[in-house]
Amino acid sequence: MAKVREITVWARGVTMDKEGRDVINIFAEAAQMEGKHVQAFDNYEDLPDRVLVTVRKYVRISDEEIEHKYLYGNDHPEVVVVIEPTIVKGINVLRGMSKGGTLIINTNRSIDDMLKFIPNADLLATVATVDADAITGVRTIDFSGSEGGVDTSGIGKGIAAPMVGAMAKVTGMAKKANLAKIVSDVSGMERGYNEVKIRKLN
Amino acid sequence: MAKELPGYGIIKVPKDREVPFGAVTPAPVCVQNMFQTSNWRIVRPVKDDEKCTRCLICYLSCPDACWVYKEEEDVMEWINDFCKGCQICIQECPSGALTAEAELDFPDGVVRLEKPF
Repeated sequence: MAKVREITVWARGVTMDKEGRDVINIFAEAAQMEGKHVQAFDNYEDLPDRVLVTVRKYVRISDEEIEHKYLYGNDHPEVVVVIEPTIVKGINVLRGMSKGGTLIINTNRSIDDMLKFIPNADLLATVATVDADAITGVRTIDFSGSEGGVDTSGIGKGIAAPMVGAMAKVTGMAKKANLAKIVSDVSGMERGYNEVKIRKLN
Repeated sequence: MAKELPGYGIIKVPKDREVPFGAVTPAPVCVQNMFQTSNWRIVRPVKDDEKCTRCLICYLSCPDACWVYKEEEDVMEWINDFCKGCQICIQECPSGALTAEAELDFPDGVVRLEKPF
């Protein structure tokens, strides 16, 4: 069985739940366009109908068919994406990561500022920040019970667009051209791709 | 624990799944760290003791009882561990003594739970 590359996205309930869901759906779909086998889950274990509660969303990408269909959590994430920077204070976001992982944070603060709150940063090989709130600033208030039913803005309209652009550049798991076919806000995605700040550690 | 239910037979309940009679679990009274919710917070209320009149409206309006009046020192105390940052106290404060400040500006208040609550 080929290696399954796991991505965990941390977001907050209701206020950023839709954006987190968009990130996993767009990224998985873009990787699928390259012929990869993908899975994307959200809303398992966590209850996202509580305002600002931390919630996880998962993507898995593999060259061959992914066999563990019925386990929803990513136990060993290779890439961790934090949609809201305060989460690093409240949660051990790097739990289960093996050495050489990647962390992508949506923040306007410097990378040094964020690393102060990550005690196990020695696991990381790459840290990246992108200021997605400054690029689009659009967030959809969405209770997950509606499953996006009230949202007519389209997939990847808000802060999800710059986030997936940054993820594509940092991880290289999806191509920008494929992302542009899926997201509504293509210019936001390209700004995220171009404006992400990357630092290699060690 | 093995228990006989009439018409059903004997059921075995594992030790870790046992609950007290009536399934009454401990209520979240006082401070109970099982219910710690401070990692929901993006901003925190910061009080200005000069402007604060001790009217106790923050104490009344807080849904999580995170404002406590300390009678000996005559100050309001904010309880860090359970404040979700809902900003109701900031909206309700008549003297404008409370302001919302970004949580990442403060080095304290780190919870770092292993899993979301």
